[in-house]
Amino acid sequence: MTTLNSVGHATPRIDALKRVTGGATYTADIAVPNMLYARVLRSPHPHARIRKIDLSKAQALPGVKTILTHDNCDIIWSSGDTRNKRYLFNNPVRFAGDAVAAVAAVDRYVAEEALRLIEVDYETLPFVLEPEEALKPDAPEIQPGGNLSPNNQGKAEPAIEKRGNIEEGFKAADHVFEDRYQTPHINNAQLEPRASMAHWEGDKLIVYASTQGIANCRTDIAKDMKIPVEKVQVICQYMGGGFGNKNQCHDFDLMAAELSKRADAPVRLEFTRKEDFISVHGRWPTVQYYKVGVKNDGMLTAIQMRGYSGMGPYRKGAGDISGVEVYQVPHVEKTSYMVYTNKAVSANFRAPAYPQGVFALESVMDDAAHGLKMDPLEFRLKNYTRKFRDQQPYSSSGLEDCLRKGAERFGWKQRWRPAAADTGVVKRGVGMGMGMFPSSLGRSNAILRVDSKGNYDVHVGVTDCGTAAKTTMALIAAEALEAPLDRITVIWGDTDTCPYSVGESGSRTTVFTGQAVIEAAKDLKKQIAEKGLPKGDQFWRADAAPNPQLRDLARYSFTAHFAEVEVDTETGHIRVTKFVAAHDSGRIVNPLTAESQVKGGATTGIGMALHEQLLYDKRSGLPLTAGYYNARIMTHMDAPEIEVVWVETDDPYGPYGAKTLGEPTIIPAVAAVANAFFNATGKRVKELPLTRDKVLGALSEGALA
Amino acid sequence: MSRKSSSKISRRHFVEGTGAGLVAAATVAPLKGQAPGADVKNRTQGAPSSPPRTKIKFTINGAERGMEVEDHWTLVELLRDHLGLTGSKIGCDRGECGACTVLLDGKSVYSCSQLGVWIDGKSIITIEGLAKNGRLDPLQQAFIDHDGPQCGFCTSGQLMSAKALLMHNPHPSAEEVRAGMTGNICRCSNYNHYVEAVLAASAAGPSTGSGGNAA
Repeated sequence: MTTLNSVGHATPRIDALKRVTGGATYTADIAVPNMLYARVLRSPHPHARIRKIDLSKAQALPGVKTILTHDNCDIIWSSGDTRNKRYLFNNPVRFAGDAVAAVAAVDRYVAEEALRLIEVDYETLPFVLEPEEALKPDAPEIQPGGNLSPNNQGKAEPAIEKRGNIEEGFKAADHVFEDRYQTPHINNAQLEPRASMAHWEGDKLIVYASTQGIANCRTDIAKDMKIPVEKVQVICQYMGGGFGNKNQCHDFDLMAAELSKRADAPVRLEFTRKEDFISVHGRWPTVQYYKVGVKNDGMLTAIQMRGYSGMGPYRKGAGDISGVEVYQVPHVEKTSYMVYTNKAVSANFRAPAYPQGVFALESVMDDAAHGLKMDPLEFRLKNYTRKFRDQQPYSSSGLEDCLRKGAERFGWKQRWRPAAADTGVVKRGVGMGMGMFPSSLGRSNAILRVDSKGNYDVHVGVTDCGTAAKTTMALIAAEALEAPLDRITVIWGDTDTCPYSVGESGSRTTVFTGQAVIEAAKDLKKQIAEKGLPKGDQFWRADAAPNPQLRDLARYSFTAHFAEVEVDTETGHIRVTKFVAAHDSGRIVNPLTAESQVKGGATTGIGMALHEQLLYDKRSGLPLTAGYYNARIMTHMDAPEIEVVWVETDDPYGPYGAKTLGEPTIIPAVAAVANAFFNATGKRVKELPLTRDKVLGALSEGALA
Repeated sequence: MSRKSSSKISRRHFVEGTGAGLVAAATVAPLKGQAPGADVKNRTQGAPSSPPRTKIKFTINGAERGMEVEDHWTLVELLRDHLGLTGSKIGCDRGECGACTVLLDGKSVYSCSQLGVWIDGKSIITIEGLAKNGRLDPLQQAFIDHDGPQCGFCTSGQLMSAKALLMHNPHPSAEEVRAGMTGNICRCSNYNHYVEAVLAASAAGPSTGSGGNAA
């Protein structure tokens, strides 16, 4: 791989100064004169019909300006549910946290007091929390048509993926391994709570959103507010994380816009941290039944999976369970049920369908290796994917190198021993997992300009939710323009000054928008070569909107993670003592910020493995662990050092061969930790997270017999 | 209103203090947190609410300042909404995440869990006061060099916790850094880089005296 001038060099973020001096302005930092403040009232019941809402006392409170409820507002949040009509305020309410009313008032205190003065008469309804329960014939109906959420064609059927003949696959097997795994609802828990500040200038709506994609957010707002898209401006200059749950527009954007319209004043709406946990989506919980066929030599013959994803009562997310494609296997059958429940809505969280799927998949594969008395690394080297779904070549694949180089850095050969080798109170074990994530190509835009002094403006519609997208775009522009980085100014985060960008979801910005920057730079360089630099206050401009497509190839990023844990068999505490993350994401544009992505993603995966969850009370249907402490989000003290190994494949597509990075970083981490626990103890916890109760339960299996 | 010295705010003290605050507030707005009832009329028929106010004096980022505050304002509210210092963030407003961390007389505190009136006679340093005369604190430079901030929302709090840590323990071990900053959550989970940065700043030399009247 050739060395480049700007791309590939560790570079601090171009906006780092703002981030370390308090100068970065996030949505809730924006205040304008006469701005009203809004809060939302939420259902205390998991399922209830609203008989009546009495607003008289709240409306009589001085300082209250506008109140929205389902009685007076029928705006549909179209991206909040892709199957059913999901209003901003629904009746019946279908989960504890479903919005009932929004109040705009002169300040926060008045708005909060007004919430307390709203009287809601609820008729509580039966509820169901678990997807398998929700599919039983006598389960409460959550959406008209039943609890099996329809597919894209509107049919209430599970999603089925078949390859080969699963029965033949099992016939060909010498051994069959099967088990049931379960994963909980987990909150994205980004640090910045949901906020939106909306105001109208005549018939133009301006929204300071907290969004991962200003362009999609704008299109969605225009659609749902029923106004032309050119009448909406979305601004998001700094964004405090989302990890998938700030895609598109959100109900708080629409509520703020409507409150502002009715009150004829700017409105800032903020959700509390508790609301963020109970009423905004997290990772979908799953139940997965795996059955795997293996020959005596360790070669896979069949993988069968039947999975149930709890989507909450609205179908915001895809709900699939992914990971199987990381194995080369001739016979596959996957059946996935996306099911409505009365828990909080679930949708995208960093590699939405993957870490929970790979946890279960890699657990059962680990069992297979154990059953065959094989080194789990050897098992994976035998069976990792050579062609996508055994058919399509990859544009590039560094998966084998991720396995080999990652294992070498980790010291796998020295550290791995058969399961339960330690006899003391504290048992050490190692585990691994592998994964892949699509790195597609597609449309995005960029506009570049040059002035008479050779300074370049790069207009890209990124929001930079923490990914360093701005810096990535600047590096790609500097490379493509053969200009020093300090000649590049990035203009971002405002739909009035930036063209369409794909949005920071699906880990696509580097590849999609980066390619657009390269195309525009080529055009601009050509103009400069023909005409020279512009004179005086002129500038040359180049637009690009490439839409590259792959032909007969699959393009993926690959990863393998390795973990060592110590298990205290008396307390049930698990400590990660070593962790190596190997990644093939093609060429790394900025090794400094890319390392941050890997370390962060892997750490989040470790939390998912060990202690994070939104726990529900089965009798009341209420969430019990809303908040950072109770949901046991990772802290400094929990986070081990993550060693990063880059496997930079030379991919012929994407900007300078870059592939996707942000999301793959979490995928195999969960499985690596869970498998390390198994290796340490010889026991398997089949339900995430591996909290002490489950650890001690697993360790005491058979002890009382 | 309890006016005990808050130079050593323990969690227990905070809970007691908040209790006192609620009692005081209850004399004005009896229905706070309760179901609506007859007394609502007293409140709703009167003029817009005017909570009790107190005149206080304090030092903010080195400058002396006097102002009248509403007694129910939290410190972070005072900073963000009334002094325009929005660098301190509200991530949870309940003492869990640390994004609002500031220095109160040289000690790191969650400013969401302090009342504004408690800073009477005290010195506050926020993220906006960390750089001195246009020069970044070594911690800020190290945070840039080691790519501490990803989304950046927790960064102000991480910096202020790190500042307090280094003022009291100029050469901490990695484990001490983790322990000292564990009240500051980073959901981008860039903990490794934050710890690296603090250790680098510590190695770079003593932190300059921007911590106000710290011990």
